[in-house]
Amino acid sequence: MIMKGQKRKLPPEEVEVPDRSSPFWESQRQFVFSVSLNKYQRGQELPEPSLRRSVLIANTLRQVSLEGCMAPSMDMEVSQPPCSSSSAFQESITNSHSALSSCPLVSSNYLSNCAVSRSPVSCHSSASNVPLSAKNEDEDWESMSMDPDFSLSAAISSILTALDSTIDGSPQAAQRTPLRSLENLSGPAEGAVAWMKQGVRGCGGSWEQQENSMEVMRSSYLSDVTVEDLFQDIDTSLLEREMGVLGLRGSGGGYPAGDDLLRYLPPLSSSSSPLLPFSLSLNQKCLPSFSSFSPLSSSSSSLPSLSSPPFSSQNHMREGLELDHLMEILVES
Amino acid sequence: MDGARMWHVFAGGNDFQWCFSQVKGAIDEDVAEADIISTVEFNYSGELLATGDKGGRVVIFQHEQESKNRPHLRGEYNVYSTFQSHEPEFDYLKSLEIEEKINKIRWLPQQNAAHFLLSTNDKTIKLWKISERDKRAEGYNLKDEDGRLRDPFRITSLRVPVLMPMDLMVEASPRRIFANAHTYHINSISVNSDHETYLSADDLRINLWHLEITDRSFNIVDIKPANMEELTEVITAAECHPHQCNVFVYSSSKGTIRLCDMRAAALCDRHSKFFEEPEDPSSRSFFSEIISSISDVKFSHSGRYMMTRDYLSVKVWDLNMENRPVETYQVHEYLRSKLCSLYENDCIFDKFECCWNGSDSAIMTGSYNNFFRMFDRNTRRDITLEASRESSKPRATLKPRKVSTGGKRKKDEISVDSLDFNKKILHTAWHPKDNVIAVAATNNLYIFQDKIN
Repeated sequence: MIMKGQKRKLPPEEVEVPDRSSPFWESQRQFVFSVSLNKYQRGQELPEPSLRRSVLIANTLRQVSLEGCMAPSMDMEVSQPPCSSSSAFQESITNSHSALSSCPLVSSNYLSNCAVSRSPVSCHSSASNVPLSAKNEDEDWESMSMDPDFSLSAAISSILTALDSTIDGSPQAAQRTPLRSLENLSGPAEGAVAWMKQGVRGCGGSWEQQENSMEVMRSSYLSDVTVEDLFQDIDTSLLEREMGVLGLRGSGGGYPAGDDLLRYLPPLSSSSSPLLPFSLSLNQKCLPSFSSFSPLSSSSSSLPSLSSPPFSSQNHMREGLELDHLMEILVES
Repeated sequence: MDGARMWHVFAGGNDFQWCFSQVKGAIDEDVAEADIISTVEFNYSGELLATGDKGGRVVIFQHEQESKNRPHLRGEYNVYSTFQSHEPEFDYLKSLEIEEKINKIRWLPQQNAAHFLLSTNDKTIKLWKISERDKRAEGYNLKDEDGRLRDPFRITSLRVPVLMPMDLMVEASPRRIFANAHTYHINSISVNSDHETYLSADDLRINLWHLEITDRSFNIVDIKPANMEELTEVITAAECHPHQCNVFVYSSSKGTIRLCDMRAAALCDRHSKFFEEPEDPSSRSFFSEIISSISDVKFSHSGRYMMTRDYLSVKVWDLNMENRPVETYQVHEYLRSKLCSLYENDCIFDKFECCWNGSDSAIMTGSYNNFFRMFDRNTRRDITLEASRESSKPRATLKPRKVSTGGKRKKDEISVDSLDFNKKILHTAWHPKDNVIAVAATNNLYIFQDKIN
């Protein structure tokens, strides 16, 4: 079944397997997830995306991510996907956010690393004291991405909002100033704490950072300005200093802390990966590249070593205070 | 097919034998995008057949009377009028180009010698008047036959102009332009049975217009949520009831149909009837919602039934029964196991139309590989035919086609993997009275007739 002129791609097992514990189901789920994201992104790049198509793809994404949460076996090892690392990462995002948003408490490793989220569901804040370095690298990697319910559903939601703004031509299509994204760091206190607890590893996507990326992404949908253009004018020296204070540097990776925040805001130029919008923000040194559907085996080798120190609650408190401090400075400036 | 009911009643004259009649359009392999046919519609008498294309043009064919020397053939359709209905526009506010592609054409019932039709692109609906001129006046006093003005001082006598026959000229002129009422893309227009109003539907709203009034319309359905983030469903098609001018239906991307009564409220956000078939849990997949999205809804001529087309099937609903359709016909069930690939190559988003025959005894819809399917509701027989140049010998009977699903492929069967998914038949039309069908295959229009026995 080849479209003329196109290479035949190798889709995963075509069998429709409603059985959720089957590995085929899982691999197909991930395949559908990554294809959907890709498709969505490309659709948005068109001058006038079809609303019906966008809504159908967004609904499929939502359903696929929810079904990932409902899959019986949440075993870490099993969840290593046979296909691309990008989908694995996305799966971990969705699993964690789905876990938070819809699943009752499950004694899985995911939740034990969950940060307190905006939604009043599920996570034990005390569990965040579990030192992450005690787990194997795979678990660390997935536990990094425990965004609360906001991340994926917010991505989808913001996409639809952007669509509406684009179509309706509403004045809210105002350019967002670069600092606007940083304002989102001062979200609800629990969210801030979530950010801190989760991962001043520097690589994890906190929900604020996700929201940042999506805020900027949203505005990028509305105008042709890329994030890099927005950042042309911004003086990042202040940011770098403050982000260093917050301990982002403390993730140890050896890269300058000041760049971290900027990195989390996705480069939305056309050269960027066509995949998951907010995953672009994580296309950084600490994470595998999402630019291809490479099998995990090849991409896992690109996983850099994560040498972050174990957390302590004291760190969290100090970093929380420093975060507030940063916000005051930014608001005043 | 609804396997539970096997009707072996032989319906006698209902056994169609379709044969090729005509094909319109260029033959070359290289298809210009603008020539792709995007809508096909017979008028109420079947005398005229209109097509719209991606380039914004409308071509109308007229049925010629049978010729005396070939009485076994019905007459042919020949070009009657061609005009540019819509031009590409640019929305400066949003920096978007508005496509000139004709999404739908709907004829108005004929009230005088002229013909009227509505044609629409994504944003603007136009009412066109198509009129004939076969006489012209000659012998004007103030101007010459060439049209040059005569010098008034040279006129010595008056004469009465005389109407003289001329070559038939068909003129199309835009009589009304209904613009600026749709934020989203118009997917349907439908003329009401009162012949005074019509509705137009886009992804989120449905408007009711009066044919005489262009500067305003009534919004009768609005499903846009206050927060667009909550949007999960869009309107995919809408149609007025053929007899009750207060009733209309609209279908959604979630496979539901809502019937609304305009007498109940000015804003018909609350439906009178809600049609949805419960999902079969055993066939659930990631694509269940996408394939349930209804691409077309059509009332039967009787007004008692309506038909919906989703990706894999056609369903006939009794308006009095909301919880499930009365008939379900599988169009290309062999694609169910290929949904993942079809999602990947976007074919799963294709919007197929469907149509009834004049007596509501048969329905037709398109598929891939230039196949189209017909279902006889009485005999429960179905047939797959192909619109292709190869089987386009004059009066040649079309050979039924079959897609092989299992491992063994019989002779003359085509395997699922060999289907050409670029050749899709999205638009078909059935003559309102006779057994003549028009099938749009990309840039070609095929006309098939039932052999008169």
